[in-house]
Amino acid sequence: MSLFKNIAAIVAIAVAASLPTMWSNPYYIHLMVVIGIYAILLLGLDIVVGYVGEVSLGHAALFGIGSYTAGVLGHSLGVPFLLTIPASIVVTAIFGAILALPALRVNGPYLAMVTLAFGTIIQILINEMDFLTNGPLGITIRKPIYFGHHISSADYYYIVLAALVMTLFVVQRILKSHLGRAFEALHDSPIASDCMGVSVYGYKVYAFVLSAGIAGLAGGLFTYSEEYISPNTYNFELTILFLLAVIMGGRKTRIGPILGAIIIVMLPNVLSDIDLFRKIAVGIAAVTVAYSIYVIATKQRSFKQMALPLLATIALAVSGFYIQDITGQRLTIFGLMILFVVYYLPNGIMGFLRGILLRIRPQWMHRHEVILEHGDKQHVWSVPDHPVTARGNLLEARNIVMQFGGLKALNEVNLEVKKGTVHGLIGPNGSGKSTMMNVLTGIYKPTSGEIEFNGKHITGATPSSIAGEGIARTFQNVQLFGEMTAIENVLVGLHHTYRHSLLDVVFHTPRCRREKLAARVRAASLLQFVGLVDLASEEARNLPYGKQRLLEIARALALNPSLLLLDEPAAGLTAPDIKELIGMINKIRGHGITVILIEHHMDVVMSICDTVTVLDFGQKIAEGTPAQVQSDDKVIEAYLGGTAAA
Amino acid sequence: MDVLAQLIESGIALGMIYALIAFGYQLTFATSNTLNFGQGEALMLGALVGLTLVGHMSYWLMLPLVLVFGAFQGVVVERIGVLPTLKTKSEFGWIMTTISLAIIFKNVAENIWGHDDLTFPSPLPQEPLVFFGVRVLPMEIMIVLGALAIMLAVEIFNRKSIYGKAVVATANDRDAAGLMGINTGLVITFSYALSSMTAAFAGVLIAPLTLTGATMGAVLGLKAFSVAIIGGLNSGMGVIVGGLILGIAETTTGYYISTGYKDVPGLLLLLLVLTIKPAGMFGKSVIKKV
Amino acid sequence: MLRINNLHAAYGKVEVLHGISVEVPQGKVVTLIGSNGAGKTTTMRAISGMIKPVSGSISLNGKDITGMSSSKIARAGLAHSPEGRRVFATLSVTDNLLLGAFPRLTFGRERGDVPGDLVRVFDLFPRLKERETQLAGTLSGGEQQMLAMGRALMLNPAVLLLDEPSMGLAPLLVAEVFRIIRELKARGITMLLVEQFAAAALEVADYGYVMENGRISVHGPAGQLKNDPAVREAYLGAAH
Repeated sequence: MSLFKNIAAIVAIAVAASLPTMWSNPYYIHLMVVIGIYAILLLGLDIVVGYVGEVSLGHAALFGIGSYTAGVLGHSLGVPFLLTIPASIVVTAIFGAILALPALRVNGPYLAMVTLAFGTIIQILINEMDFLTNGPLGITIRKPIYFGHHISSADYYYIVLAALVMTLFVVQRILKSHLGRAFEALHDSPIASDCMGVSVYGYKVYAFVLSAGIAGLAGGLFTYSEEYISPNTYNFELTILFLLAVIMGGRKTRIGPILGAIIIVMLPNVLSDIDLFRKIAVGIAAVTVAYSIYVIATKQRSFKQMALPLLATIALAVSGFYIQDITGQRLTIFGLMILFVVYYLPNGIMGFLRGILLRIRPQWMHRHEVILEHGDKQHVWSVPDHPVTARGNLLEARNIVMQFGGLKALNEVNLEVKKGTVHGLIGPNGSGKSTMMNVLTGIYKPTSGEIEFNGKHITGATPSSIAGEGIARTFQNVQLFGEMTAIENVLVGLHHTYRHSLLDVVFHTPRCRREKLAARVRAASLLQFVGLVDLASEEARNLPYGKQRLLEIARALALNPSLLLLDEPAAGLTAPDIKELIGMINKIRGHGITVILIEHHMDVVMSICDTVTVLDFGQKIAEGTPAQVQSDDKVIEAYLGGTAAA
Repeated sequence: MDVLAQLIESGIALGMIYALIAFGYQLTFATSNTLNFGQGEALMLGALVGLTLVGHMSYWLMLPLVLVFGAFQGVVVERIGVLPTLKTKSEFGWIMTTISLAIIFKNVAENIWGHDDLTFPSPLPQEPLVFFGVRVLPMEIMIVLGALAIMLAVEIFNRKSIYGKAVVATANDRDAAGLMGINTGLVITFSYALSSMTAAFAGVLIAPLTLTGATMGAVLGLKAFSVAIIGGLNSGMGVIVGGLILGIAETTTGYYISTGYKDVPGLLLLLLVLTIKPAGMFGKSVIKKV
Repeated sequence: MLRINNLHAAYGKVEVLHGISVEVPQGKVVTLIGSNGAGKTTTMRAISGMIKPVSGSISLNGKDITGMSSSKIARAGLAHSPEGRRVFATLSVTDNLLLGAFPRLTFGRERGDVPGDLVRVFDLFPRLKERETQLAGTLSGGEQQMLAMGRALMLNPAVLLLDEPSMGLAPLLVAEVFRIIRELKARGITMLLVEQFAAAALEVADYGYVMENGRISVHGPAGQLKNDPAVREAYLGAAH
């Protein structure tokens, strides 16, 4: 498959390179250059829209910043082409950072709102700052001259093609690396990502800045292709077109953006030719009718579901014969196309084709990279990143209060966890055990109180930095990256072992290969440790509940924690599985990892815990060895409160 | 000093319009965690429909009709653009669909009312009143009073009627509201109707003071985004303060620096507030239970 | 009254209920016990329409309510006091209670004596009367639980579902909650109760079902279950 893909890529590049010889008409060549430039931008936009799942309405403005950086530097200062293009990338990336750093601090539609405002204001600014941008008159700049040869439009086509192939290559490498995995992880389960040390905020910003830089490259190239730039190009309509292209081509693919670029560049041509438009509209209506008949006849969809698209496409075809000037209806057509794609083609054209291919030839399609490395017993454990320096107590939580409105979920709780022990945390439902976990891992900021871990104050730190300090956890309601395979889940946990830079990723340096191999061996070993080695390539969401819990343990161990928090690991396990779990926890302790265990299965708690703390309605009511706790009157009352009261 | 007072006065009127649109964002965000990226277009349609109606009747008779039209437009947006996307967790769907409906509305408006800006006849005298040397247009007073009145009306509805309480309950906890027998889907549709209605109302309020046309909504809708974020998407009174801050910042920047830069402080304020207090100046950051 | 037949339910692709059949007769209290993660809350959520069942059927008073939205099910007369209380934090105590009666107050058709029921709920929970104008979010956990139960009662329900009413409460309050459940039983209210305090739940209930991994493992009259050695071992002697 991979060989097939490589050959296909080479053939595609060869075909693309030979296109100018077929269509030597300058108009066509210009169209192809614009397609190439847009495709570059869209590859970057897809990182934000497809992978990270945020909506950017500012990519036209970022494109404009790239264009004007090249234009202003080249025109006013005479900076050569080979320097203006990198400058475009850097300047645009900086603007991207200025937007993303504040806008991504909160979840919600904020990035979309901020980038929309940014887009409008950049256009106004380009118009107003005429001392720099020459205002509405625009900037004229010629293509560069090299070796006495003025680069022609056809030459420029090859420059753009080279840039496109390079972008494609770089983006592909990034998305297939641990960075791409981090992007997918944070989209899949933000909480789990943070708790694996993959900062959701950090990587969202990273993705946006990367995407902005690529938009800057596209913008810089655009300046030299057009040889004239003016503010009106970078308007809201262009942003809409970019988004339409990404979703229509197909998110999370490399071909999708190229396809999308072709569509949005050709669209205005289709719309300027009323006859062509009529033919296409009739064609689309015919296809929709045929498809509807097929799905209704095979009972895949009801008539009610298909009524709207049927009506819309037929109306479009009919109205085509009444409208004389189709350009005036441009926005309506874009709008309808977006609605159509969002509702009926959510995975875009590439997603649709892939769906068909999956039905015909499932064995061709590997959604996930097959990882062949084998694990072994030596590679399960590794030296922690932060060796334990604390003596006695590894963790000390003092006077923790966690208040939600009028509810005190935790009330002045003290918790001291000795190094190298298994510390049980028990109590009835709603007594505050899980709240305590969330406070310790930084998901909740305690109302008051402080936490010291390994001699460091971690009160109020972010979940990802606490994970980085060496606290790993599992979740009561399983939080796996559902669309990733089991081994990929563990690899996210190993994210911290990838120390190499973006450049290492792009150039696949020996360092990068070495770390990648080490991580895979380690991941396979961890899966072996929890007994999931046979399910390594299975998507996490398809695993049975009990196995999902074990996978969470493997993923948590990947963090090389000095403290592991297990939240009800035995829930959903069968009796023999529970026995194995106990053995596993003992081994974990044997390797010097301290464990906090929340569990309702008393036999588990009693057989492995060194110390047990009992919480009841947010307060600590008892602490001691399992035997001591078991005979404590308060504990008996807490667990059988109802009976005692009855 | 007189100049500054004058600038503040015009800033207040402008700011109340922003506040009113931002209030519309809050209404839908509370019930469904979504908002209409075409709120500016709802305003524009309100103003243009109002303009057409005003040719046949008085301004005061036109007002209720525009409100009804606005509500209807909101229902259309919710049914086509928002309802089908609510099942998915992602924000992508409703952002894209409300934007595409917005550009369709804009395009349709261009085809009906043309590309040129039109003048909206003022229902009140255009002679400014002078208070302590500050010239105040009667229409500006009406903007401030009208905006406050509609916000107050919604607030009273929410506090006093059982339906209003059902809206607040849905905003609090949609699943629990469903258990009470509240049709939460209908509540969301209703909140969209109300939201577009306030936007249409804002449209006919501001139309006599500015030029009316298909493109008038986009920038206003955008400014209201800043206001909603500055004030806090979940804070009722925040939008009024946010609106006033932005309105005054714009008129003063326009005068002291250059009209071309009057839109810049909004964006800067927006980024600043997000950096310092992401939930907005008056917003409460919600602790999400995991 | 309430009849659940072979109910299957899933979160996403993972099926968590594998065929649950439960019957709650008129005027009786039935309890559902079992360890955490056994599927008790999921069963409750599927009954009240918070999640759509994959298959199986649920009927209330002989009327099929399978797959209906939770608001329609509430209108059909089923009240659900959910796990974690879920009171409306920014509304007052009285408003929370009135919303419990929402189907009885809307469209101008006031069914039954809502103001009278409000008085009766306040009689049952005097603590709520003291705090009637306070916002629900500022109440203590115990008071919120009272409010959630009172709110469900305001529907005048044919069947009342109580999900973990004792969760996170101090022992004294737990006793208070069970006193109220007994009081409601005496008034003839049909109830389905999910409880972590299995012993106390079996004490008040007429009939019990034990859930394990998404299935019913044992069921029988409450008195009989209480003395069942297997049940005792697993659920009643947790801390012994």
